[in-house]
Amino acid sequence: MNFSFASLRTRIVVFFAALLVLVQGLAFLVVNTANYQIAKETIVQELGVGERIFLRLLDQQRDQLEQSAGLLAAEFGFRQAVASHDTATILSALTNHGARASASVMLLISLDQKLVLADTLHPTQREQPFRFSHLTRAAEANGKASGIVTIDGRLYQLVVAPVNAPTTIAWVGVGFTIDDNTAGDLKKLTALDVSFLSRYKDEPWRVHASTLPENIRGGLVPAVGRGAGGGTIDLNLDDQEYEARLAMIEQQGDTQIIAVLQRSLAEGIEPFKRVSSAFLVLALLAFVVSVIGSVLIARNITRPINTLADVARRIQDGDYGQTVEVEQKDEIGALAASFNHMLAGIASREKENLRLAFEDHLTGLPNRAMFHDRLVQALLLAKRAAQPVGVMMLDLDRFKYVNDTLGHPVGDMVLKEVALRLRTLLRESDTVARLGGDEFAILLPSGEPERTSIVAHKVLHSLESPIVVQGQPIDIGTSIGIVYYPEHGEDANMLMRHADIAMYAAKRAKSGFATYDMRLEEDRQDHLTLLGELRRAIDQDELVLFYQPKFNLTKNAVTGMEALIRWQHPTRGSVSPADFIPFAEQTGNIRMITRWVIDAAIAQCGAWQASGHALKISINISARDLLDKELVPYVAAKLREYQVPPGLICAELTESALMEDPEHARETLAQLHELGIKLSMDDYGTGYSSLAYIKDLSLDELKIDRAFVSGMHDDAQSAAIVHSTIELGHRLGMIVVAEGVETSLELSALKRFGCDYAQGYHVCRPMAAVDVMAWLRTEKAAGNTSDA
Amino acid sequence: MAMAAFIFNGRWKWPAAMAVAGLMAASAQAASLTVKVSDAAGNPLADAVIYALPRAGTHIAARTPRPVAIEQKDREFVPWVSVVQVGTTVNFPNRDPLMHHVYSFSPAKSFEIKLYSGEAPRTILFDKPGTVTLGCNIHDWMIGYIQVVETPHFAKTGSDGRAPIGDLAAGEYALHLWHPTQRAAADAKPVKLDARSHVELDFSLDVAPRKKPFKPPLDGVRYK
Repeated sequence: MNFSFASLRTRIVVFFAALLVLVQGLAFLVVNTANYQIAKETIVQELGVGERIFLRLLDQQRDQLEQSAGLLAAEFGFRQAVASHDTATILSALTNHGARASASVMLLISLDQKLVLADTLHPTQREQPFRFSHLTRAAEANGKASGIVTIDGRLYQLVVAPVNAPTTIAWVGVGFTIDDNTAGDLKKLTALDVSFLSRYKDEPWRVHASTLPENIRGGLVPAVGRGAGGGTIDLNLDDQEYEARLAMIEQQGDTQIIAVLQRSLAEGIEPFKRVSSAFLVLALLAFVVSVIGSVLIARNITRPINTLADVARRIQDGDYGQTVEVEQKDEIGALAASFNHMLAGIASREKENLRLAFEDHLTGLPNRAMFHDRLVQALLLAKRAAQPVGVMMLDLDRFKYVNDTLGHPVGDMVLKEVALRLRTLLRESDTVARLGGDEFAILLPSGEPERTSIVAHKVLHSLESPIVVQGQPIDIGTSIGIVYYPEHGEDANMLMRHADIAMYAAKRAKSGFATYDMRLEEDRQDHLTLLGELRRAIDQDELVLFYQPKFNLTKNAVTGMEALIRWQHPTRGSVSPADFIPFAEQTGNIRMITRWVIDAAIAQCGAWQASGHALKISINISARDLLDKELVPYVAAKLREYQVPPGLICAELTESALMEDPEHARETLAQLHELGIKLSMDDYGTGYSSLAYIKDLSLDELKIDRAFVSGMHDDAQSAAIVHSTIELGHRLGMIVVAEGVETSLELSALKRFGCDYAQGYHVCRPMAAVDVMAWLRTEKAAGNTSDA
Repeated sequence: MAMAAFIFNGRWKWPAAMAVAGLMAASAQAASLTVKVSDAAGNPLADAVIYALPRAGTHIAARTPRPVAIEQKDREFVPWVSVVQVGTTVNFPNRDPLMHHVYSFSPAKSFEIKLYSGEAPRTILFDKPGTVTLGCNIHDWMIGYIQVVETPHFAKTGSDGRAPIGDLAAGEYALHLWHPTQRAAADAKPVKLDARSHVELDFSLDVAPRKKPFKPPLDGVRYK
C-alpha cells in the first residue's frame, strides 16, 4: 500500500474524486440558482393562478350569497313579515332568516333606498341613512347586487335583493363577514396567504382579515401602500420574503378594498430545498462510491502494473522463467499477454543470440568462439590429468573454385556435407567446429597421437569421396594441420596458430596432413617475409625474366621462348616462382607481377625483333588475371608501345586456371584472341577440362603436362596419352607442345608422334635474356637448330 | 255615457245590465266628464285609473258597490288594473287548471287566499281606500292592482287613453289619476261640474313602461 501522490493509484483516485467534487459542486450551484429562479417564477405563476382562482371564488361566493339572499327575500313568510311594518317583527324575521343564510348582518332598506328600516347589527337604531345605495340601484337594474363594504370597521360582502310583494316594497341587505375564516377558506383553495385591506381616500390601509399571523399583518400596510395597483410585488414581512399580488376587489367612491395574495418564498423554495438536499446526499453518495470505485479500478490497474514491473525487474536480472500472471481480459490483460510474448521473445532471442554467438549458422557446428572455449576447458582438464590434447585444423582444397564456379549455394551445401561427415567420424566428447570459410577444426580432448593420427586418416578418407550436390559430383580434398598439447603449445591461441602453420605445410606438401614442427614455423615466416618483400622487389627490379626456348621439331629450330619469372633476391639468391607466385595469387599481388611480366616480355620481344629475331614469346597468365578487365587493354597498349605484332605473343594458361572461372576465362580469351594474341593451354591433362570446352576457347596451342612426357618410356599408357593428345590437338587445329623433355629418347618419340614443339632441359634450361642471342648463335653453329 | 261605465265594468252580464238601468234613471240631471290620459310622449295611456272625489259641499248619493271579480287566467290577473269603491267585495275566481295562492300585503288590504282552484273559497271586502297590490305566492310574475277609491265616480282608460265618467251630480270634485307604473303621483285636479254639463279633460302622466316579468311556459318549464 503506497499512498504517496506519485503513485498512479493515488493520482487516479484523487483526480476522479476532485473531478467529481468539482462537477457536482458546479452542478449544485447551477441547480441551486436555477431552483431559486424556478421557485420564484413558480411562485409568480402560482400567484397568477391563485389570483384567478381567488377572484373566481369571490365571484362564486358572491353568486351563492346573492342566490341565498334572493331566496331569502322571496320567502313568503319573510315578505309577510316585512309587509307587516312592525319593526320588532321585521327585526326578528331578519335575524331568523339571516341565520338561515348564515348571514352576519341583515338590513331592511326603504324602497327609496335612503333609509335603513331595520338593522340586525343595530336593532335599536331607527331609520339610519343607507350608505350603499349603489348596491340598491344596481339591484333595481339587475334584480340583485352585491359588493364588499365596511360596516363598523369590519368587512362584509353585502348582497342587496328586492323584497317583492309582489312589487318591490323594500330592499333587503344580507351581509356576510369577511374575516380570518373567510381568508383561511380561500387560502385552502388558492394555496396563497390572503389578506383583505381597505382604505378610505388616502388614509392608511387597514387590514381587515388575513391568514397571516396577527403580529406580522401590520407589515402589510407600508408594503402595500406603495405598490397598490396590481401586478406582483416583493414583500418582506418579519424578515420573510414573499411574492404578492394585489387584487383590487372593490372600489366604490373613495373606498378601495384590495386582497393581498402572497406566497412565502421560503415555502416555495422548500420543495427545491428538498431537491437540493437530495442532491447533496446523492453527491455525497456518488463521491463515496466514486472514491471506492476509483480505488478498486486503480487497484485493478496498478496491481497488474506492479506485477508487470516486478517481472520486468526480474527480466532485467536475466530471469526469464517467470511469466506475468494476469487473468484480466482488458487492456491490462492484453498488455500482460504482450509482456509475456515479449518475455518469451527476449528469452528465445537471447537463446538464439547465444546459439549464434557460439554456433555456426550454416553447419550448426560450434563456431570459432565456442571452439576456443572448449579448447580452453579441455586444456584445463588436460593440465590436471596430465593428458595430451589433439587439435586439428583443416581447410578444403579447391573450395574456392567450387564457390566461384558453382556458386555460393553449392559451396554452402558442400560445407554442410563436410560438417556432417566430420561430425559422424568423431566421438561425442570430441568437438568439430567451423572456424569460418572452409576452415574447420577438431578438438580431441583425449588426443593421444595414435588416435589423432587415425582420426586424421579417417577425415582424409571420408573427404576423398566426391560430394554430390544437385546431381553433380564435386571433388573436395583437405589439408590437415595437427598439434598436440602440451607438446606444441601451452595455451589455446598458440595451439591454434601452430595448427594453422601445420595445415599450410600439409597443403604445400600436398601430403594430406602434417604435424606441427618448429621448422614449419620458419618456412612460414619466410613466406610472410617474401610477401612483404614482393612489392619492393617489383619496385627495385629484383624480378627478372628467364627464357626457355621452344624447339620446333618439324623445322628443327627454336622459334619461340617461354618467359619465366625469377626473383633475384638480394640475400636469398634466386627464388623459385613456386615459392612466391601462390602467395602472390592469394594476396592479390599477382596482377602487379603479371603486368610486370607482360611489359618486360613484350619489350624483350620488341627488342629481339628489332635485332632481326622474330621470336614468339609465351607469357604465363594466372587464373586471377582473367578477372582483370584492364588486362586486354594493357596488353594492347604494350604491343603498340613496343611495336610488336600480336602474333608474336602467346598467352599461356593452366588448365585449372581456365576451369576455375570458365565464363570469365572465355570472355578474356576471346578478347585476347581478337587482339591477335596466340592462346595456349598449359599443363594439359592435369585438370578435367572437356574437349568441347577447349574447342570453344579458340586455343592455338596445347601444352602436354610434363608428367605424361617424363613417363613415356616407362609407361606405355603415358606414351599413348601423349600420342593421342598430339593427334587430338592437331585434329582440333592446334599446335602441340610437349613440356619437360629431358632425354633424347623422349625427344625422338615426340618427333615420331608428330609433336610440333618440345620444351625442357633436354632442349635448353631457362636462361637470361642476355644469354639468348649467344645461345641461339651457338646452337646454330653447332647445327642443333636451323633458322626458323 | 252610461255605456262607458258599462264598458268599463262590462264583463258581467246580468247584474251589470240591471245597474245600467238604475243609472240611466237617475241621470237625467247629471253631468259627465271624459278624461283623456296620455303618457309623457303624448301617446294614449291605457289602464290609468281616474276617479273624482267630491269636494266639500258637493253631495253625492251614496251607492252600494257591487261585487267585482278579478280572474286568474292563463296565470295572469285579469284585469291587470281594477278600480273599486270602498266596500266592494271582490271575488277571485281561478280559471286556470292549476291552483293559485292570491295574496296582498298592501296596507289598504292585506289578505291571503291559500292554494285553491275554481271559485275562490271566499270573497274579500276592500274596506279601505288605497292601492292593493295582488300577487300569487306560487307565481311570482302574477301581479295585479286594485285601486280602492272612496267614490262611486271612477273609470279606467282604455287603449285610446279615454275614460268617461257619467252621472255626476253638479258640484266640485277633485279629479285623481293613478297608474301602476306612474313615476310620481299626479296632483288631483279640481273640476267644477254644472248640471248636464260635459267636461273633457286631458291628463298627462309620466309612467314607466310596463315590464311584464318573465312567465315560464307551462310545458317544458324552464327556470333561470
